[in-house]
Amino acid sequence: MAQKPLCGSPDHAVSRRGFLTSLAAMAGTAAFADMTAVQVLGSPEVAADLRRQQKRVIMLWLAGGASQLETFDPKPGVVTGGPFQSIQTSSVGVHISELMPRMAARFKDTCIIRSLNTRNADHGSAARIMMRGRMGEPSVDYPDLGAVLAREMGREDSQVPDYVSFYTATEGRGMAPGHAGFLGARYGSMDLTTSMVPENIRRGGISDQDHRERAGLRDQLSSNFERGRSSSSLDSHHQAYGRVQGIMANESLFDIEREPQRVRDRYGSTLFGRQCLAARRLSEAGVPFVRVGRAWWDTHAQNFESHQEMVPELDHVMATLLDDLEDRGLLQNTLIITLAEFGRTPNINPTVGRDHFASAWSTTLSGCGIRGGTVYGRSDELGQRVADGEIGAARLFATIYRALSINHHRNYYLGARPIPLTDPGTEPVREVLA
Amino acid sequence: MPPANPRNLRTVRDITRRDILFSVARVPNTSRLIVASNDNKVYEVDAGQANATPRQLADHGRYVNAVRLAGNTVISGGYDNRLIWWDLANNREIRSIDNAHSRQIRQLAVSPDGTKLASVADDMKCKLWNIATGERIRELSGHEERTPTGFGSMLYCCAFSNDGTKLATGDRVGHVVIWEVATGRQLSSVEVPSLYTWDGVQRIRSIGGVRSLAFSPDGTQLAVGGVGQIGNVDGIGGPSRVEIHDWNRRQRVHEFQGQQQGIVNRLIWSADWLCGVGGGNNGFIFFHNPANRTIIHQMNLPMHTHDSIFSEDFTTLYHVGHQRIVVQEMHG
Repeated sequence: MAQKPLCGSPDHAVSRRGFLTSLAAMAGTAAFADMTAVQVLGSPEVAADLRRQQKRVIMLWLAGGASQLETFDPKPGVVTGGPFQSIQTSSVGVHISELMPRMAARFKDTCIIRSLNTRNADHGSAARIMMRGRMGEPSVDYPDLGAVLAREMGREDSQVPDYVSFYTATEGRGMAPGHAGFLGARYGSMDLTTSMVPENIRRGGISDQDHRERAGLRDQLSSNFERGRSSSSLDSHHQAYGRVQGIMANESLFDIEREPQRVRDRYGSTLFGRQCLAARRLSEAGVPFVRVGRAWWDTHAQNFESHQEMVPELDHVMATLLDDLEDRGLLQNTLIITLAEFGRTPNINPTVGRDHFASAWSTTLSGCGIRGGTVYGRSDELGQRVADGEIGAARLFATIYRALSINHHRNYYLGARPIPLTDPGTEPVREVLA
Repeated sequence: MPPANPRNLRTVRDITRRDILFSVARVPNTSRLIVASNDNKVYEVDAGQANATPRQLADHGRYVNAVRLAGNTVISGGYDNRLIWWDLANNREIRSIDNAHSRQIRQLAVSPDGTKLASVADDMKCKLWNIATGERIRELSGHEERTPTGFGSMLYCCAFSNDGTKLATGDRVGHVVIWEVATGRQLSSVEVPSLYTWDGVQRIRSIGGVRSLAFSPDGTQLAVGGVGQIGNVDGIGGPSRVEIHDWNRRQRVHEFQGQQQGIVNRLIWSADWLCGVGGGNNGFIFFHNPANRTIIHQMNLPMHTHDSIFSEDFTTLYHVGHQRIVVQEMHG
C-alpha cells in the first residue's frame, strides 16, 4: 500500500529513515495487544516505582513563534507592550499576560526564562537550533532533544515508543521534524500528523495476514537496500522497526476516548487540548518524550487578535495538563517545556503584527527538577534586548538535562570522536533548578 | 463650494506621528480631529496644520480603539473596557463608566440625532447609552461568544442608519445583526462568511471578520466590509472586500473586491458613492458607485488606514492609521 510522505519534508522524500518510518507507520499487529501500561498505573505501587525510576518530558512546541509579550514577558504601558495587561501570578511579584489567568493562578510549578538570545530568526534553521540545542555542523548530524531523551530515558525492554511527536498543522511541520541524527532510527520520532492514532492500529485496522505481507515486503525492500552495504545504522533501523511493530499493537495507548468524559472535558475540544491529553496518556504509560506541536503562531499581521484567539487555549490546556499530572502524582517526574523557534518583535508593524525575533524571548519549564514559581533573566524595558541573565539554546538544554538528572557533559562517540550532549563549557542555569 | 468629485482626490497633508491611531472624529466645520491612540490616550489634533501640537484628552491606560463626538462631548472606549465622556470645551472628564463592557470595546457609533451611543465589545454585546446622562438604555445580545471551532469570537463594529431607527452590528465570523433601535428587537440578520478565514489545515487559526458597516442613505441596504478569503493567515494578503445586502430580504445584492489587498476598516455611504478605506501593508481608498456597480476611483494611501472621516461637504477627507494622519481633498 502506497502512502505519501506526511510532512512534505525533503528528508522524508529521500532518506531511508523516512522511508522505513513510513513503512513502520503502516504496520500493525495484534501480537502485543495485552499491553496495558496505562491501566497498570492505577496501582499506587507501580506509580511509585515509576516515579523513582522514570522521568518524562512533554514539550509544547509553539511553532511559528508565539509572542513573549502576549504570554510570559508582558510589558504593559510601554510603546512596544501591546494592548494587553499583565496579571499577578501566584508568585508575588511575577506577572504574566492577562490572556493566561489559569497559568497565573497555578504558577507554583513553573519557571519562566525571559532571557533567551538565540540569534537566529529564520524559521527552519532556528527550529533546528531549538530542537537540537546547538548550531549544526556539516560533519555531525546532531540528534534533537527528543532523540537524546529517548536514548537516555527510554528502556530497552519498553513496549511504548520513546519519542512521539504530534504535529497536525501543515505549516512548519517540515521545518523541525523529529530527528535522531547520529543516534539512529532506534531513537527517531513516531510522527503523528494526520491522526492522533498511528495509521492502521485504529479499530478495524489491518489483519494479521495484512501485517505478515507488509513485513515480508519490508524485508524484501530492506534486503535489497542492504545488499553490498555494511553499516551499524542498519541494525538501528531493524531495532526501530521491531519496536514500532510492537508499539503499533497498543491501540489503547493513543485512544483518548478511553479517558472519562470529565477528563476529556477538562482538556477541552480543541485539537491541541486533545493532543495534550493524549500526551499525558503516553507520558503516564512511560513514553519518555512527547512533543505536541501547536502551530502556527507566525502573526505578522493582526498579532493581538491572533494571540487573543490562541493564548487562552494555551493557557487552558497547559494549566489543565499541569493540574492533571499533579493530580496523578506524576508532575514531579514530568518536565513540561514550552518552546518555539523564536519569539516576536517588540516593534509593532504597519499591519498590527509582530515579526520574527530571537534576541530576547521566553521559554518555560515546569515540573520535574524545576524551581517553580520563579523567573530567570530579564529583558529590557521595551523588550528589545536581554538585560540580565542571557542564555542561548545550549544552556537551556544543559538546564533541561540537569533537571532530568542527565549528565550534560556525557559524551556520545562518533567513531573515536567524542560528542558531548551540550557544547563544551556549557553549564546549566542553577537558579532554574530545584 | 464646488461639489465633491472622487476622481480629483489628492493628498494635501501628511502628518507623521509615532503612535498608531485607530479611530477619528472631527469637530464640525473645522479641521480639528479627535483621535484614539495606541499610546492609551485620546488627543485633539488640528489637521489643518502640519506641526500642530496635539492636546491630550482622556487617558484610558490601555489602547483606545474608538472615539466619537456628540456636540461638545468626546466619548472613547478601548481595551480597558471603559467608556469615558470628555468635555471638549473645558478639557475635563464628564464621566467614566468602568466595566461598561466585560471585554475590550471595539467600536462606537453615535446616532444621527446625537442622543444615543452604541458600543460593541468582545463580550459580544452591543450596548446603547444615553449620551446626555450616561445611562444604559439597553443591551443587545445576538452574537455567539465562541467561533464554530471553539475559540473566542470578537464583535468589531456597529453603525446606525441615517434615520437613526436601525443599528447594525458585525462580528468575527461574519454574522451581522440588524436591530430596531427603539425596541432592541432583532429585525434581521445577514451572514457574510466570506470575510472570515478559518485555516484548519495549514495554521489552525483564523483571521478577518466584519470590520465595517454602512447603511445606504435610504436604509434599505447594508454594506459590509472586511477582507476576503486569505491563503496565508500570517498576513492580510487577501482581497479588500465589500458585500451589499438587502438586509430585510436577507439577500446579497452585490459584492466587489478592491484592487488592493487588505481589510476594509471603514465604509461611508453618501448619496453618490460608497467609500471604503483600509489597509494591508499599505493603505487604500476606493469609491464605488452602487447604482451602476462600478469603481469610480481608487488609490493607495501611505499607511494602513484604520479610520476616516469626511468634512460636511465631502470635499475633504481625514485618514488616521499607522503613524500618520493624512488629509485629502476632492473638489469638483
